[in-house]
Amino acid sequence: MSDVTLTIDGKTVTVPKGTKVVDAAKQVEVDIPVFCYHEKIGPLGCCRMCLVEVEKMPKLMTACTMDVAPDMVVKTVGDKVEKAQKGVLEFTLLNHPLDCPVCDKGGECPLQDNTFKYGPPDTRMEFHRANNVKAAPLSPVITIDRERCIACQRCTAYSERIEQDRGLVMLNRGFHNEVNTFNNEPYDNRFSGNVIDICPVGALTNTDFRFKARTWDLENHDTLCANCGCNCNITLGTRLNEFMRIEARPNDAVDDGWICDKGRWGHHFMESKNKITAARENSVGKTEPTSFPNFPINAPAEQAAEKVIEIFKNIAEEHGPESIGFLGSPYATNEEGYLYQKLFRLLGTNNIDHKSYQDTPGLPIRHFDVEEIENSNIVLLIACDPTEELPILDLRIKKAVSRCGTKLLSLNDQDTALDKYAELKVKYKVGSEASAVDALAEGLARELGESIDFSSDLGPTGISDEDMKSLVEAVRSSMKICVVYNPAALSGDTSLRVKRLLSVIARIPTIECGAIPAAPATNAVGAVDMGLLPDFYPGGVPVSDSEKVKELWGENAPTKPGLSASEMIAKAKSGDLKALWIHRSNPVVDFPGGEQVVEALKNLDLLVVHDMLETETTQLAKIVLPSNGPGFDEGTTTNIGGRVQARRKALEANSIDDWKLIQVMLKKLGDESSYSRVAKVLNEISQKVPGYQEINSRFVGKQGCNREQVAGEEVSPGNVESAASSNGKLQLRVATYLFAHDKILDASSKLAYHFKPSSAFLNESDAGKIGVSNGDRVSISGNGTEMEAEVTIDNRCMEGGVVVPRISDEQGVNGLGNPDGSPAWVDIKKA
Amino acid sequence: MTQILFKDINKEGLHTMKVYEGLGGYQSLKKAFAQKPEEIVEAVKASGLRGRGGAGFPTGLKWSFLAKDVFPRYLCCNADESEPGTCKDRELLLKNPHLLIEGMILCSYACRIETGYIYFRGEFQDLSFIMDKALDEARAKGYLGKNILGSGFDLDIHTHLGAGAYICGEESALLNSLEGGRGEPRMKPPFPAVEGLYSKPTVINNVETLCAVPYIVSEGADKYAALGTEKSKGTKLVSVSGHVKKPGNYEIEMGTPTSELIYNLAGGIQNDNKLKAFIPGGSSVPMLPADKVDTPYDYESLAEAGTMLGSGALIVIDDSINIVEATLRLISFYMHESCGKCTPCREGTRWLHQIVERIMQNKGQLEYITRLEDICDNMAFKTFCPLADACVAPVVSSIKYFRADYEEYFKNVPAGAAS
Repeated sequence: MSDVTLTIDGKTVTVPKGTKVVDAAKQVEVDIPVFCYHEKIGPLGCCRMCLVEVEKMPKLMTACTMDVAPDMVVKTVGDKVEKAQKGVLEFTLLNHPLDCPVCDKGGECPLQDNTFKYGPPDTRMEFHRANNVKAAPLSPVITIDRERCIACQRCTAYSERIEQDRGLVMLNRGFHNEVNTFNNEPYDNRFSGNVIDICPVGALTNTDFRFKARTWDLENHDTLCANCGCNCNITLGTRLNEFMRIEARPNDAVDDGWICDKGRWGHHFMESKNKITAARENSVGKTEPTSFPNFPINAPAEQAAEKVIEIFKNIAEEHGPESIGFLGSPYATNEEGYLYQKLFRLLGTNNIDHKSYQDTPGLPIRHFDVEEIENSNIVLLIACDPTEELPILDLRIKKAVSRCGTKLLSLNDQDTALDKYAELKVKYKVGSEASAVDALAEGLARELGESIDFSSDLGPTGISDEDMKSLVEAVRSSMKICVVYNPAALSGDTSLRVKRLLSVIARIPTIECGAIPAAPATNAVGAVDMGLLPDFYPGGVPVSDSEKVKELWGENAPTKPGLSASEMIAKAKSGDLKALWIHRSNPVVDFPGGEQVVEALKNLDLLVVHDMLETETTQLAKIVLPSNGPGFDEGTTTNIGGRVQARRKALEANSIDDWKLIQVMLKKLGDESSYSRVAKVLNEISQKVPGYQEINSRFVGKQGCNREQVAGEEVSPGNVESAASSNGKLQLRVATYLFAHDKILDASSKLAYHFKPSSAFLNESDAGKIGVSNGDRVSISGNGTEMEAEVTIDNRCMEGGVVVPRISDEQGVNGLGNPDGSPAWVDIKKA
Repeated sequence: MTQILFKDINKEGLHTMKVYEGLGGYQSLKKAFAQKPEEIVEAVKASGLRGRGGAGFPTGLKWSFLAKDVFPRYLCCNADESEPGTCKDRELLLKNPHLLIEGMILCSYACRIETGYIYFRGEFQDLSFIMDKALDEARAKGYLGKNILGSGFDLDIHTHLGAGAYICGEESALLNSLEGGRGEPRMKPPFPAVEGLYSKPTVINNVETLCAVPYIVSEGADKYAALGTEKSKGTKLVSVSGHVKKPGNYEIEMGTPTSELIYNLAGGIQNDNKLKAFIPGGSSVPMLPADKVDTPYDYESLAEAGTMLGSGALIVIDDSINIVEATLRLISFYMHESCGKCTPCREGTRWLHQIVERIMQNKGQLEYITRLEDICDNMAFKTFCPLADACVAPVVSSIKYFRADYEEYFKNVPAGAAS
C-alpha cells in the first residue's frame, strides 16, 4: 500500500494509506484523546473526544474516523480544539457519578486521565445527575454499573466486529440508551471478559475483582495464560501474594489483544482444595515393594524426590532401563520438559512420551506464527475446531476472513462454528481422515505432475470427486496458504500424512506456505520440541542418529527407540514396565482406554505422579509429589505458532518449583550441571536443542520470539488400510471442548454456565436406524465401557459416525476409545 | 403558478393505474428507454433538480457518483418524512403513488439499478398499503418486473416500514434500519453512492425529488430549468403550518416570496394576529423574525437570511406565542429523537431541556442565556449527523431574535439567585 505524508502539530509523519489520523498522531507522539476508538475494533465516532482541526475543513473533524490524506495539516491544539475537548468532556461527565474513590477503574481510567489532561476544572451542571442501576449482572462474571457508562459503544462494537455475535447491543434511544443484551439473555459467549479491559470507564466490571483492591496496590506480573496452545499474554495482578485478577496483555503475534473467558476466570484451581501441597505416599499398589525405604509422610518434596529417583535407578538396574518410563506433560514449561527428559535419558531409557496420539517434531514447511493467518489469502483447517479448542484462534480467523480478505477452507469430519465463514467446506466421514488427507495430497501432486509412491481412495471418506477437486484447486491457486491442523484430533498416523501433504504444498512453485500444528494442549509444541518423545531427542534429533545423539548427550545416551505412551500402558499391563513417572498428566481420563489404563497403572510396581491437582491418576499413585502449576511456576512455553514466550512467577508457592525439584534429582544421579535460575536452564536449551539456538531470556522478553524451524524427517506412510466393517457400529469422534467441567473449571467455577450436557451428535440416517430421536437418552458402549448421553440429531458428522464432545472428566468419553489410539467403534442403544 | 407535482393532485382516483395512465402517466418510460441511461443522468443534471429532503444536493450529480461497475446497486426512496412541520410527501404518497413509481423506474434505469426500496416511516402504514396496491398494478401492467416494456431492463420495488424514529430519515441511518440494524447514522465516507445498502452502491432520494423526474424526462430538462431562480430551479412543495388560516401543502415556483405563501396561499395569520416569527424549512432550521417575511423562498435567499430551505416546512408563529415555550417544545422533540450515539447530542439535548425548563419555572439566572449559547456552540457541528445542529438551530435563533422573551423570566429574579 502506498504511503501518505501529512503534518500533525507541525510534525511531519508518513504512514500507510488508510491509516486513521489518530493512529498517525501516535507515531509522532502527539496524544489525541479518545474513548470510543480502539485500534483493534476500528472507528466508531461516538464519543467525539478526538476532535481536531484540519486545514481546509470548515468544522472540527474526529481524528478516529478520518483517513490520512496527502499534505493534510492537522492541529490538535489551539483554542478551537481545546474548547471542543472541554465541551465534550463536560458533556461526558454531565451525568457520570464522581465515585472514583470506590470505582474499580480508578487509577487506570481513561476518563480520569483525559479529564485531568483536557477537561474543564469544573462543571456547570447544577441539576441532579441521572440515577441508574449501580450493579446489574450481565453474566455471572460481568457486572455493569449503568451510571458510570458513557455510552461510547466500544463494547457493543467489540461484540459486533470482533466476537461477531452481537451479544452486547445498545438498547433504547438517546439519553435512555444502555448497553445490554437482547431480550435480557445473559452475555455468555467465550470472549465476554474483554469488554472489561476495553471499557474506558468503570462501567463493565469484573464481578470477581469488584471492590477487591485498588489498581495502584496491585503487583502486575506479565505472564502467559496456560489453558490452551494459544498461550495468550496476560497480566496477572496480585496483592500481598494473593491472586486478584487477570487482564489481557496485547501481543499482536499471539492474541491480538484478546483473551478468552477461561483465561480470565479459569484460575480458581490455584486456590482449589484439591491442590497438592506436599509429597505423600498412598497405600496403593500391587504389592508393598520391599525395596521401599521408610517413606516419611508429608516429607519435603525434595527429600521425597531424591529417594524416589533412587528407587527408579534401582529398578532400572535390576530390570533394565526398558522397565521404567516417563509420561511428561504437554502443559508444563519447556524447562520442566527438557530437564525431565534429561533425567530419564540419564537413567538410560527412551521410554518417554507426553501424548496419546502420534506426532513428530518439525514441519516440512514454515511454521507460521498465528499472525500470519491475517496475511494469508487461504487458511485451510484440517480436523480443527478453533472455537472449542483454541478460542483466540477463532477470533483471529474471523478477523482474517471478515477484514483481511482471507478465504477459509475446511476439511473436517464435523461441523464447526467457523463453517459459516468458510468459502469451501469439505466433510469426510469420521475415522477416514487418513484417506481424505491422502486424497488432497495426491490431487495436488497430480496437478504438479509429480510421481508419488502412494495412492488414495475417496471411497471411505464420503467426499465427492467435485468437492475434492475444488479443494485441490483452491489450495493450488492460493498465493499464500496457512494450513492449521490439529494433530490431537487425527487418528493413527494421519498427522504424518498431513506432513506429507504439507511437503507437497511446499513444492507448488507459486505458493508461499506454512502451517500451524494446533493441538489444544498448552505446550504441545514445546513438549515435542523438548524431546518428550520415545524416538526423538530435543530439537527433532532422532534417537537412531547415534552420532548426533552422542555428540549432544554423551556416550551413554540411549539410542534405542523407546515406548510410546500407549505402548508403555500396554507394557505396564503385561508387567514388563515396572515403574512409571507421570508429570502433570491425567491419562486415566485424558487418554483413550479408560478402565484398561487404570488396570495397567495399578499393575505397576511403582507409580509416581508429580502434579498440581488431585486427579484420578494421583489416586492410583504410590508416591505423589506436589507441582505448583501456572501462576506459581516460571519458564517458557512454545505456542502453536512456534513462539517461545516467558511464563512468569506471580505468586510465591510453598512447594519447591518443579524445575528445582528435577534439578535435585539430576544431582542425585550425578549430573553436574547446576542452574541458579530458570533462565540458566533456557541457556542450556539454547545450546542443546536445535531450533532454540537463538532463544534466551532477554530475547524472549515480554512479547516472546519465534524459535527457528525444528528439523523434521521426510515421512512416507504407506497406503491406508481398508477399515474393518462396522457391524452396525458407529465410528467415534471425541470433540475437545476447552470450556469443559474438568480439574481447571470445577463445578464451583463461575464459568460453570459454559458446561454442556453429555451429548451424542448423530446423523439423521443413523438415528433412524438406531431408532432414536432428539433428546432421547442413549447408552454408548465401546472398549468394554459404557456412558450415557443425550441425542442431538443435527448431521454434525456424516453417516456412520458419532460426535461425542468431551464435556467433563466424569463423563468418561475417552474410556470408549482404544488404548492404542486406533479409531474406535461404538454401539449406541436407547437407554 | 406552474404545477408539476400537484397538477392533478385532487383528481378523483388518481391513485389508480387507470386514472393515472389516463392523465398521461408512465408515458415518460418509452421516451427514457429510447435513450441511454447516461443521457437521463445528464438531463437531470441539466434540469438543476436538487434533493428535496433537506440538504438540497444536486440530484443528477448524486446519481453520477455511483461507484463504477459495481453491481448490484440499490435505490432507496426516503419516505420517512419525519421533520416536524413537513407533510408534503404524505400527500404525494396518498394521492399519487404512481408518480413516485414512475420516478423510481426512471432513476433505476438511469443508474442501472434492479432493486428499489421505499422506506416509509412507521406511522405511514396506511400509505404503504396504498403503495403496495399501486406496485401490484404496475407489475401487472409490466412497468415493473423483468424486461420492462421490452427494454431488457429489470426492476422491482419493495416497501419497508420503519419503527418510528426521526433519525431514520437521515440517509445512512435509514440504510441501517432497512438492513434490520439499529437506526444510527453511519460513518461517511464511504458515502452511500460507494457503499450503501448491503455495502453496495446506493441512490437515496426523497419522494418529492423522485416525483419531479418524470416531468424532466417527458417535458425536457430545459422546461424544468426555466422555472425558479438561477440556482434553485423548478418548483417546491411547501407545507405551511402554524397560525395561518389555510394550512396545507402548496406547490410554488422557487423564489416566490415567503410572504406570498403566508398571506396569499395560506390565507394570512389566524384571528388576524400579527406574525411574530416563522421557521421556513422544518423544525431543524433557524427561525426568522417577522421582518424577514419577504425573503424569496429558495435555497440561496434563505441561506443568505441565515436559515435554510430544509424540507420545505413553513411553520408560522404569531404574536400570541411565547418563543421560549416554543423552543422548549422543539428541544424536547430532539431530546426524544436523539439516537444517543454522540455524546454532545445525547447529553446536550437533555441539558438544554433542563435549563430552558428551569428558566420557564422562573428559577433561572440571567447567565443561563449565555450558558445556553455556549452549550449550543459545544454541540453544533461536533456530532456525527446533523441532529444536534438541528436542536441547536431554534435555540440560537430564538435567543438571537427574541432575547427579550427570555429576559422576561428573569425580571423578578435578582441576578445570582439560587437555582
